[in-house]
Amino acid sequence: MNAQLQIVGADLPRKDAMEKVCGRAEYAVDVALPGMLHAKVLRSSRAHALIKRLDVSRARQAPGVRAVLTAGDIPKHFMPVYGYFIKDQPIVAVDRVRYIGDIVCAIAADSEAEAAAALALVEVDYQDLPLAATIEAALNEAAEDLFPVAPFAVMPSYGQGASGQMRPQKNVCYEFDYRSGDATAFDRCDHVYEDSFRFSRMHHYHLEPFAAIADARTDRIEVWASNQNPFPLRKELARIFKVSESSITVHVGHVGAGFGSKNNCKAEPVAVMLSMLARRPVRFCLTMEESALTNTQHAAILRLKTGVMKDGTLVARESEIWLDAGAYSDASPLVAEKAGYRIPGPYRWQYIDTRCLCVMTNTAPAGPFRGFGGTQATWASESQLDMIARRLGVDPYDIRVMNMLGLGEAFQPGESGIDSDLKQGLDLVCEHIGYRQPRRPNRGKGLSIGFKDGGGVKKAAQARVRVLTNGDAILNFASVEMGQGIRTAMTQVVGEILKLPHNRVSAPSINTDHVPFDEGTNASSGVAVMGRAVEAAARGARQRVLEFAAGQLHCEVGELDLDNGTIVQGTGPNAQRSPLGPLVMGFYGGPGFEFSADGFYMAPVDHRAPLESPCVFWEIGWGAAEVEVDPGTGLVKVLKLVASGDTGRSINPLICKGQEDGAAIQGFGQAMFERMIYSDRGELLNIDPLIYRVPLAEDLPAEFVTITQQQGHGPGPFGAKGAGEGTILPIASAIANAIEDAVGVRITELPITPERVLAALERKAASAPGDAHQDEH
Amino acid sequence: MSDIAISFELNGEKRRAAVAPNLLLVDYLRDHEQLKGAKIGCSRGVCGSCTVLVDGTPVAACSKFAFQIDQASVITVEGLANGDRLDPVQQAFVDHAAFQCGYCTSGMILLTKALLSQHANPDRATIIEWLSSNVCRCTGYSQIIAAVEDAAQRQRQVVP
Repeated sequence: MNAQLQIVGADLPRKDAMEKVCGRAEYAVDVALPGMLHAKVLRSSRAHALIKRLDVSRARQAPGVRAVLTAGDIPKHFMPVYGYFIKDQPIVAVDRVRYIGDIVCAIAADSEAEAAAALALVEVDYQDLPLAATIEAALNEAAEDLFPVAPFAVMPSYGQGASGQMRPQKNVCYEFDYRSGDATAFDRCDHVYEDSFRFSRMHHYHLEPFAAIADARTDRIEVWASNQNPFPLRKELARIFKVSESSITVHVGHVGAGFGSKNNCKAEPVAVMLSMLARRPVRFCLTMEESALTNTQHAAILRLKTGVMKDGTLVARESEIWLDAGAYSDASPLVAEKAGYRIPGPYRWQYIDTRCLCVMTNTAPAGPFRGFGGTQATWASESQLDMIARRLGVDPYDIRVMNMLGLGEAFQPGESGIDSDLKQGLDLVCEHIGYRQPRRPNRGKGLSIGFKDGGGVKKAAQARVRVLTNGDAILNFASVEMGQGIRTAMTQVVGEILKLPHNRVSAPSINTDHVPFDEGTNASSGVAVMGRAVEAAARGARQRVLEFAAGQLHCEVGELDLDNGTIVQGTGPNAQRSPLGPLVMGFYGGPGFEFSADGFYMAPVDHRAPLESPCVFWEIGWGAAEVEVDPGTGLVKVLKLVASGDTGRSINPLICKGQEDGAAIQGFGQAMFERMIYSDRGELLNIDPLIYRVPLAEDLPAEFVTITQQQGHGPGPFGAKGAGEGTILPIASAIANAIEDAVGVRITELPITPERVLAALERKAASAPGDAHQDEH
Repeated sequence: MSDIAISFELNGEKRRAAVAPNLLLVDYLRDHEQLKGAKIGCSRGVCGSCTVLVDGTPVAACSKFAFQIDQASVITVEGLANGDRLDPVQQAFVDHAAFQCGYCTSGMILLTKALLSQHANPDRATIIEWLSSNVCRCTGYSQIIAAVEDAAQRQRQVVP
């Protein structure tokens, strides 16, 4: 690797450090505009019902009320529904509600308290419809259709082997299919195993709720949003409110975390519409409970049919995945695509046939969540791999190593090659967990390799670097800083290329009128996609400075270097050093000048690639766990958890470690206890923050180790890859695999509660030996 | 509802205010004093993003009324640094990158101040016990724990 790096690879303090530790960092929730009103919404108390009567007349007269928004208050020429591919979510309910928490109407008042008081005066008559709160209920032939009329939808396009279908059956908004290889491969297998898995659903629990402040008093719309993708938001608002994108400004400051949830429209449409009606700026800030009702992870049922040779060689896999999409599609088609596509894992196959369906249920809409379908896929595929290994009497380590893709080997036909040495990572976590050591009673160790394609599909990014008169630099780019440290990482890249100390590079917050277009901050794309645009912009700006200096110094560009704001001609002790400032002002005059360059990157489009764009980089998360199971209670104690990702190269190692820690602990919470609990009636039973349980410091495993590998094969600046999602992927399966190693029972449903473990132990005790290998064909 | 007259100390300055009986402390700080470092997360006193110190004790400002700070001394995150000179706890959080999105950070820092005022040399178990009263969804806590351990050491060096 490049040994001369000065700034990239250093644990420099985060760019946002001072403002965050001093309480000065501004989030959307902190924005206050003169004359600003406050919005509250009435949420449906019914899981599925027609609205027979909605009377807001008393609310309109209530103290402090400035605007009331019902479906009838939206001008007819607007397009009051939104969604990524399927425009199915109304700003406020039109004729029906589809889940408990669906927005019925909204009120803007002088204070939140007055808005809330006015909502109590709204009268609604519902006529209940049959409801479907689970995947099974929604797929039942007798189930009520959540969308009797098909919403407008746009089909994603695919390349070799992949296809999609809108509404293939009732209550399925989208189906993704991928097939490759030789279908007869199953016939040649020694064994074919079928296993099913269940994946629970988490609330993102971003501490800053969804919030938007909108000012739409004039023919312009200005929005301050807690949002991960300001430009797609601008486009969606333009479509809804029938204005030019050039008439919309989106501001994004610091975002109090998103984990995927803060994509596309959330609080914004209500705030904008109320601002139009009230002709005042409007703030709409949700509570944490409301956030949980706005976007969640996808619960899933996964069925895998896997054919193998008796030595453990993987041959063929068929999978069916049902994702619980909730009541509105949000990003579900994309999550389905990824869950389906990632089901092979990082292994070699002769045949793959995978199908993933998004099932509409009368529950909160599900959307992107860190891992994005890969978490669901990894839970099932890495669990089944261990089950198969044990059935065949092959070591779980060996079955992985004998089937894993080699460095540079294509994941599937038309795809890019794997850019991590998978065995190197597996050996590392094995060593840390002591995989080869003998087991003590009721203790076991498990392994897992999480896997996802990173960087997004056909994702384009742009950045602008401006070098000022004295050599200081400004980076304008639209990656949202939501904790991952992208502003720090990208200014380190600029600093490295311009040989400029990090504190001389600034990265202002986002205003869509002034930063170059970017598709959004998701898919771990910051470093691998935006990073390349930033790198190109910095190199371009440096070139412009050197070209200018060469003209002034009457020499060739190649003779010059830019170092800390100084033009250096020649090398060694005889080098001539000319500060940039006097050179610039000597030519341009006292006001000085800026040398600006734009950078662009987009993954190449290639129809041979199944998703039409070979994966930018592969995000891998290796996991290993050691557990102790109490056979009397089913209680599982995770004695040690090891998680490792490969950043290719860490631009800021300390920040990378924080990402790996955080993702692993999110996965740990999901494995052990965290989940949203829905009743059959569509009620979210643990919505209150008092009872919804996320990991606390005291929940950490006794030993918790994360190791950042820097294997150097990444496509980003200086060999970097994306990071931040890898280590959430393998945790649950590593723990389940460790439990089977410890006590010989297999848990196939998350979270791994003592009740489930105890029940499995009792089943094992009740069954004769040999019955454990079910479903063999 | 008539307002309640209170007098208190805020970040070392004497203050008088008339507050509505139902005004929450967090709303008073954020909306009336423009001290927005205390963040509203769960509004249930669970997540601790709104933590401030009242007479040195960490409290969830979302679960306390403003009038309850009458005659008390209140410290918010804005009251810790001396100009650009950070408090040792703040500096430790910077050095260990003990925050990501930053939303819980004010609360975590103030919680650590209170912890270190009661335990100059806390062991890891004590640190974990204290930190478990607030939620951080981003970091997985390891870097926060490291920052607290480091801050304790720095504080011992500062205070003889």
